[in-house]
Amino acid sequence: MDTSQLKQELVQLLGKDKVLTQDLDLMYYSYDSSFLTKLEPAPPNAVVFPKSTQDVQKVVEFAYQNRINIVPRGAGTGETGGCIAVQGGIVMDLSTWNEIIEIDVKNMQVIVSPGVIHAELNNELAKYNLFFPPDPGSSMMCTVGGMVANNASGLRAVKYWATEPYILGLEVVMPNGDVIITGGMKARCIKNVSGINLTKLMVGSEGILGIVTRIRLRCFPKPKARGIAMAVFDNLDDAPAVVMDVYQAGILPSGIEILDSSAIKAVNDFKPQIKLPDAEAILLFEVDGNPPSVEYEGQVIQEVAGRKARTVEWATEPKRMAELWEGRSVTAAASARVRPDGSRIFAGEDISVPISRVADTLRALRDLADQHGIQIVNYGHIGDGNVHTAPVINPEIPQEVEKVIKFVDEVHLLAIEMNGSTTGEHGVGAVRRAYAELEHGKAVEYMRKIKESFDPAGIMNPGKVF
Amino acid sequence: MDFKKLPPVQEQLMKCVRCGKCRSVCPVFAEVGIETTAPRGHVFMVQMLRDGKVEPTNEVYERLGQCLLCETCSINCPSGIDVHELNAAARSYIYDNNPSVGKELLFETLWTKPAMLRSSARVMSAAQKLGLQSLARKTGLTKILPGDLKEAEQMMDNIPSKSARSRLSEINLAREEKKYTVGYFLGCGTDLFSPNVAVAAVDVLTRNGCEVIIPKDMKCCGLPHIANGKIETAQKLAAHNIKVLNAYDFDYIVTDCASCSSALSRKNMEFLFAGLKIEDAALALSEKVLDLTVFLIDVLDIRLPQKKTAEKIRVTYHDPCHLANAQLIKDHPRELLRRIPGIQLAEMKAPNTCCGGSGTYSTTHYEMSMKILDKKMDNAMETGAKILTTCCPSCIMQLSYGCKRHNWDVQVLHPVELLSRYYQS
Repeated sequence: MDTSQLKQELVQLLGKDKVLTQDLDLMYYSYDSSFLTKLEPAPPNAVVFPKSTQDVQKVVEFAYQNRINIVPRGAGTGETGGCIAVQGGIVMDLSTWNEIIEIDVKNMQVIVSPGVIHAELNNELAKYNLFFPPDPGSSMMCTVGGMVANNASGLRAVKYWATEPYILGLEVVMPNGDVIITGGMKARCIKNVSGINLTKLMVGSEGILGIVTRIRLRCFPKPKARGIAMAVFDNLDDAPAVVMDVYQAGILPSGIEILDSSAIKAVNDFKPQIKLPDAEAILLFEVDGNPPSVEYEGQVIQEVAGRKARTVEWATEPKRMAELWEGRSVTAAASARVRPDGSRIFAGEDISVPISRVADTLRALRDLADQHGIQIVNYGHIGDGNVHTAPVINPEIPQEVEKVIKFVDEVHLLAIEMNGSTTGEHGVGAVRRAYAELEHGKAVEYMRKIKESFDPAGIMNPGKVF
Repeated sequence: MDFKKLPPVQEQLMKCVRCGKCRSVCPVFAEVGIETTAPRGHVFMVQMLRDGKVEPTNEVYERLGQCLLCETCSINCPSGIDVHELNAAARSYIYDNNPSVGKELLFETLWTKPAMLRSSARVMSAAQKLGLQSLARKTGLTKILPGDLKEAEQMMDNIPSKSARSRLSEINLAREEKKYTVGYFLGCGTDLFSPNVAVAAVDVLTRNGCEVIIPKDMKCCGLPHIANGKIETAQKLAAHNIKVLNAYDFDYIVTDCASCSSALSRKNMEFLFAGLKIEDAALALSEKVLDLTVFLIDVLDIRLPQKKTAEKIRVTYHDPCHLANAQLIKDHPRELLRRIPGIQLAEMKAPNTCCGGSGTYSTTHYEMSMKILDKKMDNAMETGAKILTTCCPSCIMQLSYGCKRHNWDVQVLHPVELLSRYYQS
């Protein structure tokens, strides 16, 4: 089918208000936050904005009959090209379908359409003293549908883990247009081991198995208190050691973040008033819960971290907590400004390694960066071994681009070498699929079999994951 | 002007990582929800223009023109990108390739010649007073307004018959011992649409030891021209004003208009004149420019005597984008209000979200402007205030229209008007 006919058909199916057809407008859907699409934007053939399951179903049936690719998209904040039509086709932007369908307070769950923004959902849930715990850095703009597709997590994964455990059931439009409900058609229960767990299979499948149109997710009671501890280290190895010591002491903080010397310098250069201590590493612990337990956990962290750290400070007063956390909250912005003639890029930015190997990994990353002559800033969620590396280059100088592509490749290989993964929370998308065989071996064959049985026509987000 | 060599185009385009934080703060994106209105989308399109991937067409201008230039994305951008400057530069580049007669007439002829602008406003005002809207139409005056005629007429249905310039002297002596010689930058909006603000400003300043000089031959600050793709004209206007104002020996240059002070700020002068010969003179001028509320609090530190008759009144405040975003001034207007006995400041929700006015935007994008305005009015009305205040004539006009649209019977004033009233009470 030629492109103009495709556009006409889509307009007939959904009406002109739900379809973008002008080439100029389609260009705006050629990028996400990945370095890949910064270098090679890939516009789709059309963009649709469904507002109901029926809308999605109509488009999918049409695409299935005509063998046209469909690429689901949330807010386009991903860093992997996952929502980009790298092999052409229709981009399905689900971000405008943003409805909180039901907050079932009695059963501690909420039903949403895929376009609901994470932060907006939590603002609503807060009215009922509830919250949806996974906490991505892009909370203000990312959609819950995107979080489901990528099994997103974030700062608080240490205690609350990722999106997957909270998803109780999904409505999915399958690649042939069938609509299924996972987790029990009528279920409102929390515990459920009935049948093969298709919910778990769908979460994190990055839109290659079907399109999620409705999400039933579990909420937790919102913690009443919070505290922050900052520990400063002269020796990098002491930072992960203290993380283990804190766990050994029976404490599970909600988040544990690390800034290494590169991040400390970047933050101090960007905002000198923050005055982070000059050190090899800084750890930030966040604990939450009831006021007495928060105080108790804070005391234990101070005592345990104090054995190896140069200094430890504990705060529960909101202003001081914000000050202690500020260094971490501006790290991304600081990374962007390390070089006036450069920019941080999102590539090789999400490796995950065992906690015991975080210090070795950080050192190896620095060595790799030196070898390739690339400046980097390292930070991340040390509590679960997720390291965010921000290479800083001038993306408009071809030689720098060439160097960083080699560097990023070695970063991914390093992650596998360290018994880790090429991605902890951002996903594979188009940018990390080359490592699938190396990372998963024969298991990739079975992933392909699952994909083929769900999507025999191969129209659902092709060119992603493996 | 070589678009591709402008500092923001050269230095900032590469910094956008399309993280999308701007999606979460943009008032236009909040209404539309599609990527063609996202600030990162505008940055992307500017890059496409620079790289020759798209031609400088009216279609591209239309998409970039959906932006209010409210600068909310710029102050929230983790990469520190001045999205509004990139957008304005691109508009200018496109306009140079696609000039329009109407715009030339308005921005090159009328809006660069203060006397002509004033007499046009007088004609329109007279026509309105006589109920002769059609006369104004026949004069062609409303036709050259950017955007839709009908909407423009609705917005501008209450033009004062006398401009501030005609009500004020060039030199206004201090009424007590003179402390400062102050140049008062009388913006077009204040002059023509909110002359009472100017009269109040001069009243308050002269009461507080300032000799206020309103130089005769000042022209528009150039901000409307920047927003409408006429950067070179904005440069000419700024160069003219720099020459005029630097010829005086002012201690300070004060303006009650957020847009004017942001146009005269160091940041904007660097945008207009970076690397050019005039840059030093421009920056010297910027050093002296202060928003009126900042001058009244930080320099004059005005303190008002309590009066037994002081009436208690509930007031809310809307942050103009060109004050809160462009200059990060939020506290001074509020502090000024707090210092006026009897005023009870009631904060509205999202006080620094754009009102949708943004100069000519409300007429060029009437429907979008009204959607944004309606949200603002809901937040303002919820405070139960009796007076709505703000520090920008464009916001005053937009909010006044909002009050009419929502049948909300309150006054929309600049804080200095309340201050002047208090002195006179």
